[in-house]
Amino acid sequence: MHGIAYDPVHDEIVVPVHLAGAVLVFRASASGEEAPIRIIQGPHTRILRPETVNLDLKNNEIVVGEDGGKDVMFFPRDANGDIAPLRTIRGEKTGLDEVRGVAVDPIRNLLVVSSRGEGKGTTGVFVFNRTDNGDVAPRAVIAGPKSGIIRVRQVEVDPEQGKIFVAVKNNAESYKFADASPSPWNPEKPGFIGVWDINDNGDVPPRGIIKGPASEMVWPAGVALNAGDREVYTIDSVSNGMYSYYMPEFFPPKKPATKQ
Amino acid sequence: MALPEKPTAWLMSAGAALMFIVGCFNVLFRAKPSLFSAFSSRTQTSVASDDSLDADDSCADTTELAMAMTAWKQTQLRASASASSSRAESAPIGGDIAPARSVADAYPSLHSVAVDPESNQVFVSDSNRGAIFSYNRDAGSNSPQMANPERVIRGPRTGMMFVAGISLDTANHEIFAVNNDIGDRMEVFPYDTEGNIKPKRVLSVPHGAWGVAFDPMRKEVAVSIEHPNTVVVYRREASGSEAPLRVLRGPETDLADPHGIVVDSAHNEMLVANHGNWAPLTREEEESEGGLRGGHFAMPSINTYAIEAKGDEKPTRKIQGAQTQLNWPMGLSLDPMHDEIAVANYGTNSILVFRRNAAGNVAPVRVIKGDRTGVLGPMGVAIDTKNDELWVTNYRDHTAVVFSRTASGNVAPKRVLRNAPMGTPAVGFGNPGAIAYDSKRGQILVPN
Repeated sequence: MHGIAYDPVHDEIVVPVHLAGAVLVFRASASGEEAPIRIIQGPHTRILRPETVNLDLKNNEIVVGEDGGKDVMFFPRDANGDIAPLRTIRGEKTGLDEVRGVAVDPIRNLLVVSSRGEGKGTTGVFVFNRTDNGDVAPRAVIAGPKSGIIRVRQVEVDPEQGKIFVAVKNNAESYKFADASPSPWNPEKPGFIGVWDINDNGDVPPRGIIKGPASEMVWPAGVALNAGDREVYTIDSVSNGMYSYYMPEFFPPKKPATKQ
Repeated sequence: MALPEKPTAWLMSAGAALMFIVGCFNVLFRAKPSLFSAFSSRTQTSVASDDSLDADDSCADTTELAMAMTAWKQTQLRASASASSSRAESAPIGGDIAPARSVADAYPSLHSVAVDPESNQVFVSDSNRGAIFSYNRDAGSNSPQMANPERVIRGPRTGMMFVAGISLDTANHEIFAVNNDIGDRMEVFPYDTEGNIKPKRVLSVPHGAWGVAFDPMRKEVAVSIEHPNTVVVYRREASGSEAPLRVLRGPETDLADPHGIVVDSAHNEMLVANHGNWAPLTREEEESEGGLRGGHFAMPSINTYAIEAKGDEKPTRKIQGAQTQLNWPMGLSLDPMHDEIAVANYGTNSILVFRRNAAGNVAPVRVIKGDRTGVLGPMGVAIDTKNDELWVTNYRDHTAVVFSRTASGNVAPKRVLRNAPMGTPAVGFGNPGAIAYDSKRGQILVPN
């Protein structure tokens, strides 16, 4: 499984099962070999190989991103069984290829998608209107050399600030046997956690970053936020490690409301 | 849709794959240092009950307190510096920040095992640190002592990442290793390889390789591939991007998330363990086969094929059903002398032994299972007929355990090979690809 989302309102966990074309929902307190409370699976779902999931609790929807399917689907949060999606963003105009992360900003009604172009399309962060449906162009794409994005994975949104947090995995697997000292990863192009404004567009550098040898990140594959404790969490595919960063810079205190 | 009548398959697919990492996270840096007594970098690999959320003084020790205090000071300084920074406005905030806490396993996670009784060596793969360890065959004991490997192959030059299955060419003294999910390669090393060195050969294999089996009669190597539900067979000396000799794939094969694989040269057969997950690989594939098929969970199985099966060829027999006890079957091992196969059955922490030619919904002839066995998250299994032993590698423990070949029931192993101090918890990360924060419990959720 390469995705997971926690629902704090209903105290549930949502996971995609890539190899069985399913989305499972468990009690958040589930333990051991416990059955899911709901399963979204079957031909009418049009789910192919779900890679990533997230939740839009304001609009009561599960968002499913697919790498092989090259799409994003929306289901009712309490969907169960072989049911059709509410909406699907798929097609050439979308620019989506291998979708690796999805997140919703319910305040601005936006959908953020990370997609890997694999040489054919754009690798970057795509922003759509939350209610987009069908073969629609994104309203913004963050990609290019200044962005530092080579490969992307999970995305998360802090809607209070309007910020996008991205696990930028970066250097592609590049083991070259003929090299004198080959390596599967490029130490000169380490991955990072990047922070962009949700209104950013084009080849723009991140506004915030966690990157470098001290961070211990090589291939960060996921990102999660704990805004209350001003922490950012990531996991890494190369080191098989989970890292917690205290980042007050990323979570400035809210300004007190001024009296009129 | 109603839940399936037999829930085992989909439970195996997802339930046990969630790894909940629990610590006393909630008070580290937002708190005053006086609150650090509640901090810990302790990890638990089991799902925590709500009880675990209670303040736990055992979390704290002197070292952790000192680390937490130092980190707190560093971050306060950093925050202060950031606030008064005169850096250019275009520079991103943050930087090369050290983690406040980290969870990683410093010790190997044992995956697969292969024994060469003639050279008296045993080889195990480590998917955590991307390594292969070789031990003397009689390594291990009943003491808490760690076993010293004779050699370790590890490092970026080796190309090994999430290394999974291994197999041996005992005639040519070569080790075949495949990488699962990241590192779509098969590396071949001589037995006496050691350190951070290039493999003897490297072969590109499809994404999601898990099991590998060398066929000494045909001088071929068979590799099971999870994602496309495929078995590919190569020449023994294949390298680079050489094409396979044969590909077994298609709906008639009943391959569904294949894992362990063994070749039975004497009977011209190939056996493959399936988890039971199935979904179309692409929309094009789905539509070419009539469309709207969707994914499904099937019961796990062990499928047998003709050794030269290719294309969309059916299995000649299947072990499948509730009586089999199959639950996340991982590694397979063949005992040609006694006509048996052993299965590392991860889902029930057991080793199942079947007759080689068993078919249908049949019970295993022997089961090694129980709290005395030391079998915990078995990934690999290897039968050594010369020494009448059965090896098991435990993914959820830093051990390999060795039994008599005919061991059955809740029996203690003959010896235990430890690669970490006794009692060291295994974190269990295996190429984790996402993360989430459970704000209610103060827990971090990581799926494998």
